[in-house]
Amino acid sequence: MKFIKKQIPLIIVMVVGVLTLVSYYVPNKVSVDYIETMNKWENIVVAFAFLLGLISLFFSHYNKIKRKGDGWGYSLFVFVGFLAMVLPAYFSHGKQMTDAGLTPLGWSFKFIYNALSGTMFAVLAFYIVSTAYRSFRIKSMQAFVLFVAAFILILGKVPLGQIIWDGVLGWTGAGVNDVIEWIMQFPAVAGKRGIMIGISIGAIVTSLKIIFGIEKQYMGKD
Amino acid sequence: MIKNKAFPLIVLMLFAAGGAFAAKPAPAPAAITGLTAADMPYDVGNAAILRWPVDPAAAADTVYVVYSSSQPAAGWIETDRFAAAARTGKDIELPFWAWDGTAAEHAVKVELNNIFGEGVPGSVFQFKVSAVKGKLVIAESLPVSVTPVGNWFRLDRLNNLVLLIGLIVIFFWAVSHAKRKGLFIRRIAGLDAIDEAIGRATEMGKPIFYVPGIGGMSSISTIASAFILGEVSKKVAQYDSQIKVPHYDPIVMTVCKEVVKQSYMEAGRPDSYRDDLNFFVSQDQFSYAASVDGMISREKPAACFYMGYFMAESLLLAEVGATSGAIQIAGTDVEHQLPFFFTACDYTLIGEELYAAGAYLSKEPMLLSALKVQDFGKLVVMVSVFFGMILVALGAKLGWTGFVQGILHLFKGY
Repeated sequence: MKFIKKQIPLIIVMVVGVLTLVSYYVPNKVSVDYIETMNKWENIVVAFAFLLGLISLFFSHYNKIKRKGDGWGYSLFVFVGFLAMVLPAYFSHGKQMTDAGLTPLGWSFKFIYNALSGTMFAVLAFYIVSTAYRSFRIKSMQAFVLFVAAFILILGKVPLGQIIWDGVLGWTGAGVNDVIEWIMQFPAVAGKRGIMIGISIGAIVTSLKIIFGIEKQYMGKD
Repeated sequence: MIKNKAFPLIVLMLFAAGGAFAAKPAPAPAAITGLTAADMPYDVGNAAILRWPVDPAAAADTVYVVYSSSQPAAGWIETDRFAAAARTGKDIELPFWAWDGTAAEHAVKVELNNIFGEGVPGSVFQFKVSAVKGKLVIAESLPVSVTPVGNWFRLDRLNNLVLLIGLIVIFFWAVSHAKRKGLFIRRIAGLDAIDEAIGRATEMGKPIFYVPGIGGMSSISTIASAFILGEVSKKVAQYDSQIKVPHYDPIVMTVCKEVVKQSYMEAGRPDSYRDDLNFFVSQDQFSYAASVDGMISREKPAACFYMGYFMAESLLLAEVGATSGAIQIAGTDVEHQLPFFFTACDYTLIGEELYAAGAYLSKEPMLLSALKVQDFGKLVVMVSVFFGMILVALGAKLGWTGFVQGILHLFKGY
């Protein structure tokens, strides 16, 4: 039983991992076909897993409504939203547009889905402002450096800021756009690359740990 | 009378002029010699490479036109067109150990699958090259043929392979010499705060939200997130607190269900485990963010964990969590989302710390030893950057172009 539950999955992980790694160095059609096949399998598994997800979603919200749990009214909208998209999709045969114009599915997409998605994305703008306010509270030397860099960037992006810069610091000969370019090209890239190098090496080592079965916490312990 | 004599004379003159034109044919195009066609190395077999010597006497307005055909000496298709001074062997993007192109020859890569579609490997293709000035063909080559084949090794990625083999050797060395004690690992504040966050949730009697992000199970950060979830849920089970794990990806949900279930069993609290601790929300980015935001706003959790792959929803989630007063710990390897987590969360794990978290929390000797490999990798990068910088600067100063190019090739990805 342990062999089926533990060893076989580890063997599958190792074989698939090594083959996928090797295919990076083998340009032959055999390896290209292998990667394509694996991608197709992944899509098939995702399709079935999506069904599982849908069942999980419906059950959790159904139970909430049944128990009249806190905020159960919101759970009704899950079903309303689901029907508002699925029924038009069924009657429109999955088409959003015909010669006659928008289909019911197209209407639902344009006036429900896109409007709601756009709203969420727009909220992001307000959150960026409040986050910027929080990060501009200078509590340490690092926060001060961040503030100065961000302040110069903001200043340089608005015409009034450029006028102020030219008026106050124009005598230095360095335009605000030059300073911005320097900040973005050197200190910002240096910091970013440091993080990226760490991430890349970490990703390689984590992959090796999974491929060679050192890291198997995702399977639980014995 | 004059008219009668003039008409035959004019006709005679026209014929004579015609004869004179016929006697002076257009000059035959010169020959482009030395054209060779070969299979493009290190590819799947969809391309060919044409090479012929650069003509130093070619005028600036001369243009080379490359023709290809899948039939013998017929069905020519214009494939490429470029100025006579362009496209030399130096322009082929391959390293010095895999390509011997020089500036003294033209080298043109022809992507045959873009012209002839599928079925390129194993078929015979013909090529010819013409030199054109204005609309006049001034030189032309004889047709050459090649059969592209798929190759078995990307020699251009040899540098990458050597580094990988080095890392694998170090990896196995580190794992086989795993020590139970004495391995120093610097403290990671974000991971040390997990106990504090769970303790706070227990005292307040409020839930913990663990958000694994919007990555699929093939994403390394999501896998790392599943490891952390295992350790967090074990502590949650020990403290008899509550955890909620909203999911974006149904496969991740399935894996996380197993992870959480196992953790509850290891903590000796299988009775506390419920299948709905992990639940699917939506596979749409903003629907997911809106739903989780709603839950955080209503339930006011004591702690929020954001571990995994995040995009624009990172700030939407973290800001709502901060507003609700929860202690927040985040970790992602998406470097452009890190600033949002830095500003909105109490603790943030930066990329590699996220990967190391599983080992840090579980304290498994083999996993901890594998962290040495990460340090070794960073050491290699640091040494390479330091000496690479010195050698390239020195080479550029002394005018050693070939040497500088060689050094740059060594550290380039192909």
